[in-house]
Amino acid sequence: MTKTLFLFIVVIIFVSSYGDLKGQERAIPVNISLFNESTAIPFTRFFSTPAHPGILVGTEFNYKEKEHSRLFQTANISYFYHNYLAQGAGINTELGYERTLKSGLAFEGLFGIGYMHTFATTEEFSFSDGQYLKKTDKGNARLFPSFSIDIGYYLKKGEINNGKIFIRYQLWAEYPYSPDFIPVMTHVNLHVGAKFFINKKAKKND
Amino acid sequence: MTKIIYISLVLLLLYSCRKGEDIKPEFYDCSFNFADSSAANPDNNKYQALLDEMTSNGVVGVTMSVYRPQTGMWVGASGKSDLHNDVDMKPCNISRVGSTVKMFTAVTVLLLKEEGKLDLDDKISDYLQGDVIDNIENADIATIRQLLQHSSGIYNYIQNLEFQTASLNDLIREWKPEDLLKYAYNKKAYFQSDEDVRYSNTGYILLGMLIEKIEGKPFYEVFEEKLFGPLGMTLTKFAAKDHVPEGIVRGYIDMYSNLQVLESTYFSGWDYYTADGGLISNPYDMSVFFQTLMNGQIVSDQSLNEMLTWKMPDETDPGFFPIYYGLGIFKIETSKGIAYMHSGDAIGYYANMLYFPDDSTTIVYAVNSNYGKIDQFVSTKEAMENILDVLK
Repeated sequence: MTKTLFLFIVVIIFVSSYGDLKGQERAIPVNISLFNESTAIPFTRFFSTPAHPGILVGTEFNYKEKEHSRLFQTANISYFYHNYLAQGAGINTELGYERTLKSGLAFEGLFGIGYMHTFATTEEFSFSDGQYLKKTDKGNARLFPSFSIDIGYYLKKGEINNGKIFIRYQLWAEYPYSPDFIPVMTHVNLHVGAKFFINKKAKKND
Repeated sequence: MTKIIYISLVLLLLYSCRKGEDIKPEFYDCSFNFADSSAANPDNNKYQALLDEMTSNGVVGVTMSVYRPQTGMWVGASGKSDLHNDVDMKPCNISRVGSTVKMFTAVTVLLLKEEGKLDLDDKISDYLQGDVIDNIENADIATIRQLLQHSSGIYNYIQNLEFQTASLNDLIREWKPEDLLKYAYNKKAYFQSDEDVRYSNTGYILLGMLIEKIEGKPFYEVFEEKLFGPLGMTLTKFAAKDHVPEGIVRGYIDMYSNLQVLESTYFSGWDYYTADGGLISNPYDMSVFFQTLMNGQIVSDQSLNEMLTWKMPDETDPGFFPIYYGLGIFKIETSKGIAYMHSGDAIGYYANMLYFPDDSTTIVYAVNSNYGKIDQFVSTKEAMENILDVLK
């Protein structure tokens, strides 16, 4: 797991830098992160074991941008696998605010809302006509609000398409979870990821 | 590229589901050590119809024993012990019976008292020291009697949301007593000891540790020596020695309240090593224990009287029967009369045992499914009333 994480970090630093090499033209930002999902009460745990892997891919655009801050919107798709409990695929959007320092360090806060479809990770039996039968799992629809904070580092200060690596602590809720039993389930995702840019012009020439 | 990602995601979702374990039906074979004459019982059809109704409502499987002095012992079953392998439930099948073990813990403590090894009014801190006493509010002043009667005020670790989410995060974790007690550390006590009663699993973990301290061996071995063996409870065991022993029925949870159940046989690791849960038994063995206890054949009359000395909580639950707390036992006022009882949950399992002192009727049932919509057919007040309407 540690080796995979290390390899991932090396790859994202390379990819983040690659975006910058394509030139200074404004390109599409792409956020990609690997995360560890856990069922947990917010702010009680930073990292939990066993690890339940997940991946997020997204993009973002700015509403307002100043020298050291910006207000932006994200759009993401994500997937997680929680052993024995559930796996889920979701789409969401977040309103984010970022503050950057001269050193390249950046701090973000993001409020999000999205839709998630979860599926059982173990065999499921459905009750029908007085008996339980194996059935294809159609999954469960969920609303998933989220709040994230992250700390990142811009690799090449002063450039427009500046790649960034980040660690993100994301709190999210799964609703409805189990009506009249557990109404809401809370989760914590710890992300390690990067932002890089896909240069449209460069892509065309490829 | 987008197409490849989409297809990969769909394949991932479809094929990352774990299939059930293939188990031969013989795994669930079992037999009683008594001559079963249930088929000849005059109420056989009525009792069986009740069990069939429970499973037709969504309970996966149920086993039951009904003892009446006039008609003797009836045992029955309905539904499935294993859905993946399509195996029918049998009356002798064993399952997890959760907190019903607290009555066994209490009786063992009373036996130790009769042997002169402790006094019920001794403080638990006279026997246990260290973190578990220092970090749990009221543990330094609570007496053994208060722990038995849930009147210590000590915080119930199961109520801690951090514990609940942590156990979901690692569903097959095997928890040690110290791991569980940490969820009660530095938590405010519910009340000053002896001021009220409130259910606390934490107190029963401490009582298990007390038995081990006095006897110098695991508390479940003391159960075997003092209770399971002498009472001929041949199919009863404790999870610590074998977490999923031969013959145990599969457990199922209605996690999302939609009667779509998931197997949970391996999900009860939080009560494998503690005296607040972890018992594995069947309704016949449990009935033998309960009847023998109430007949005064396990503990002395004085101990039984102490066990059946009741305290009522200041706040009652309007959704349940009026309830009174004894030592490891409860008294409830049902429409069919006073019953002594204890129920128990594990993940995917539920059991309940009731004794009616007016006519010695003893009812025990165990199911291998719970939570969500299933609870309304097995463990709620309405479920119990429905069962008692037929049986009593």
